[in-house]
Amino acid sequence: MNLQLDRHKALLFGSAAAIRLLLFTGFPSLPDLLTGRVEISTPITSFKRLQEGLFLYTHNVSPYDGGVYHQAPLLLPLFSLLPNPSIYPLATDPLYTAIDLLSANALMQIAESRESVSSRLFTSSRKNARWSAVAVGAGYLFNPLALLTTLARPTSVLTDLFILLATSKACAGHALTSTLALAVASYLSLYPVLLFPPLALLCYDRILLRASHAGSSTNSNVTNNNNNNNNNRKPPSLFVFVLAHLTRLALALTALLILSYLINASSWSFIPATYGTHLLLRDLTPTVGLWWYFFTEIFDSFRAFFLAIFWLHMASYSLGITIRVRGQPLFAVVALLGVLAVFKPYPSVGDTRLFLGALLLYGHVFELTRYAFPALSSLLYSAFLGPAFYYLWIYAGSGNANFFYAITLVWSLGLSVVLADVIYAVLRDEWEVERPEMKGREARQI
Amino acid sequence: MTFEPEGTHSNASMRNLHLLHGTLPHEVVCTENLTPFLKLLPCKGKAGISSLLDGHKLFDANWQTMAVDVKPVCPEDGTECILQIEQTVDMVLDIERSKRPRDNPMPRPIPTEDLVCDNSKPYHGGDSCFPLDRTSEMSWSLNKVFGRPLKGSCPLTTEDGRDSETVCINVPHEREVQERTAADLVKKEHEDGYLRCYKISPNLDFDLILPEQYLSSNLPLSHPSLHAFRSITGHGQERGGVRAILTNPSLTSPVRFVYLESLPWFMKPYLHTLRATISSSTAPLPDQYLEPQQAPNTADPIKQMYYRPAVDRHRGTHLELLLELPPASTLTLTYDFEKSLLRYTEYPPDANRGFDVAPAVIRLLSSSSSSSSSNGSSLLGASEYLRTTSLLLPLPTPDFSMPYNVIILTSTVMALAFGSIFNILVRRFVAADEAPGYGGKGAKDE
Repeated sequence: MNLQLDRHKALLFGSAAAIRLLLFTGFPSLPDLLTGRVEISTPITSFKRLQEGLFLYTHNVSPYDGGVYHQAPLLLPLFSLLPNPSIYPLATDPLYTAIDLLSANALMQIAESRESVSSRLFTSSRKNARWSAVAVGAGYLFNPLALLTTLARPTSVLTDLFILLATSKACAGHALTSTLALAVASYLSLYPVLLFPPLALLCYDRILLRASHAGSSTNSNVTNNNNNNNNNRKPPSLFVFVLAHLTRLALALTALLILSYLINASSWSFIPATYGTHLLLRDLTPTVGLWWYFFTEIFDSFRAFFLAIFWLHMASYSLGITIRVRGQPLFAVVALLGVLAVFKPYPSVGDTRLFLGALLLYGHVFELTRYAFPALSSLLYSAFLGPAFYYLWIYAGSGNANFFYAITLVWSLGLSVVLADVIYAVLRDEWEVERPEMKGREARQI
Repeated sequence: MTFEPEGTHSNASMRNLHLLHGTLPHEVVCTENLTPFLKLLPCKGKAGISSLLDGHKLFDANWQTMAVDVKPVCPEDGTECILQIEQTVDMVLDIERSKRPRDNPMPRPIPTEDLVCDNSKPYHGGDSCFPLDRTSEMSWSLNKVFGRPLKGSCPLTTEDGRDSETVCINVPHEREVQERTAADLVKKEHEDGYLRCYKISPNLDFDLILPEQYLSSNLPLSHPSLHAFRSITGHGQERGGVRAILTNPSLTSPVRFVYLESLPWFMKPYLHTLRATISSSTAPLPDQYLEPQQAPNTADPIKQMYYRPAVDRHRGTHLELLLELPPASTLTLTYDFEKSLLRYTEYPPDANRGFDVAPAVIRLLSSSSSSSSSNGSSLLGASEYLRTTSLLLPLPTPDFSMPYNVIILTSTVMALAFGSIFNILVRRFVAADEAPGYGGKGAKDE
């Protein structure tokens, strides 16, 4: 069966890579067109701004002294190794295709680890209905949003890759690698730091699971040394574990920041330009999110207050969801990805792609969702009307900003309905393990 | 590179000098723009040539310039240095338009008797006339054009010489110029024969009258060393490009110049898209679009570049290019830029008009090697500056009637999302008929 899995995987990866490379080479003006779309490229991930930053960096002007570049400094030496995209436009395409395939691979590893159906503290009653790894990978790679995102080449795909790597390493129990990947993801964009609580719990659960599996295979041979064994292999307490990994995360982040300081000609000027733009929303370019129009229209005296409110709101989901869904920390990660896709300062369809792809890990609970059709319809509706209304506002001049703003509201609402529905489905699945007779019967929440 | 101090400065003071450069691309002018200028003059606009300046006539001109230049001058014999102030007013007047009386500036058609008709036209008759172009010089006088005669003189010095002349007129040899004044005046003709200067006694009116006359020769005009034309390309309110067409009309000598662009912060140029292409052809008209063809052996025209990126809401973009154009060639400079969405309070009252972008300043350097040594010398003559036209930049605007609505709509969406997720997380599941108040038994679970 492993061989068959590998064959399916190779077929999947081959066809996904072929489609992407075909689109890159067959429509040479399409990547530049998509790089300019606000739904896909944001001011902090845009490929054109990366090119501008690279140009300034290679000409010894600090890209952070102002201007348009708001991305991490370590990307500059990395991308300067590649040939100049404006002369050789096909140079970056294999890189982005490879990033896509690696992300899909990480997602498939998470699916294969069966963490979504049976964690340490919980096993779903629907675990036989789980989607296979190849199905999850196919859903992730052939999503039209995924194709659009890869063609537009934003740097958020790197963040997504490292988030998925962190999660897959956590599912395998490699806590250190997971923390390092999470540190890189948080360094590139600010938000993945919020994924630390559920990822730490996931690591902890998996380490204990692996230890108990190893322990149980040796304990069966030793019957009179049980107590000794248990005393020798006392599991670390959760608090100590989390603290240790928080320290490691902080150390890794500090190392990355110091490296960036050295790259940026020994100056910390990149911090206000990168993280400051995220926190203070300096660039008001329209996105598919809720922030840009809100902060365009409010008066300046309320700006600080509302910035604090929006950030607090987004950050508060992290601990709340993790604690409530303690039994399934992987689901807490997926739910937080959804929260980030809706409430980030500069969201894009790339974040939606990540969320929808990770949702496929929980395909076994889709039968418990209540509002799948309206939510997905509203997503489809806003996906088609959004570009049309943006064109009316910016190019035709016959619509105004309210049209596009309304579509972003519908999009955010649709995504949040999907998110809430999936949380309901997973919690109901948990409850049905306690009360198996409730399967198929109506239930309420009080 | 563009601006260097003029006049005599000691080396010690040169170290402490700062260059402050500001631009005001658009202003609705009124008489208050002229009054402080006149107040700086020794006779405060009541005598001499400045008595001709009237706000209505000055700002009605097709082109006008007002300049105040202050520089320290140290005489050779080491006596005390003085500050020299030079005030300049340039106007390009349309004579026919200026001859309209100030109180009643409505244009009136010329009486039919004065019309000169083209007799060769088939429809020429009593009531239809195809007017011929005027071939003679129009008649005008200072009184008719400026609305008042010159009142006396404001002598700056009692010695004879260039400084003692009140007014000079630059006309071809054969032009008839009549002076009308009460007292006697001193008239002098200069060497080249075109300049006629008058020294007027104070307190008496002076008028110059030029009757209508057919001239066979025209004044020799100096040829500019460079033609410059700048415009915005692209459509839509999201991005655009700037194209500057610079032409060297001379057939023999190359021209070196510094091109300075001072852009507002909300216009974000992408320097990696800056292209400078030279096409060698005879000078086209500035409003002709020229398709640039790369001459096969052209060196890069950009010799030096100084770029300081903009910081949002703090400073604008500063771009200086040292360019060299070979004879009889045209340089096309293009680069892309992105427009940003501003905050509600940052738009002017007529937001849909757009924003003005300052003209580009071109400083002509002599093409000999003396330009490279000009940094060291402290006594400099006035440099020759050209300015392109200013640009009108339409920016995307939000809907200004909507701040409250946007706040409540966005808050509603966020509250809906947060509320539904919070409810689902916090409430516990019960079977539908066990829920109290549903009409069932109301039994509590566990």
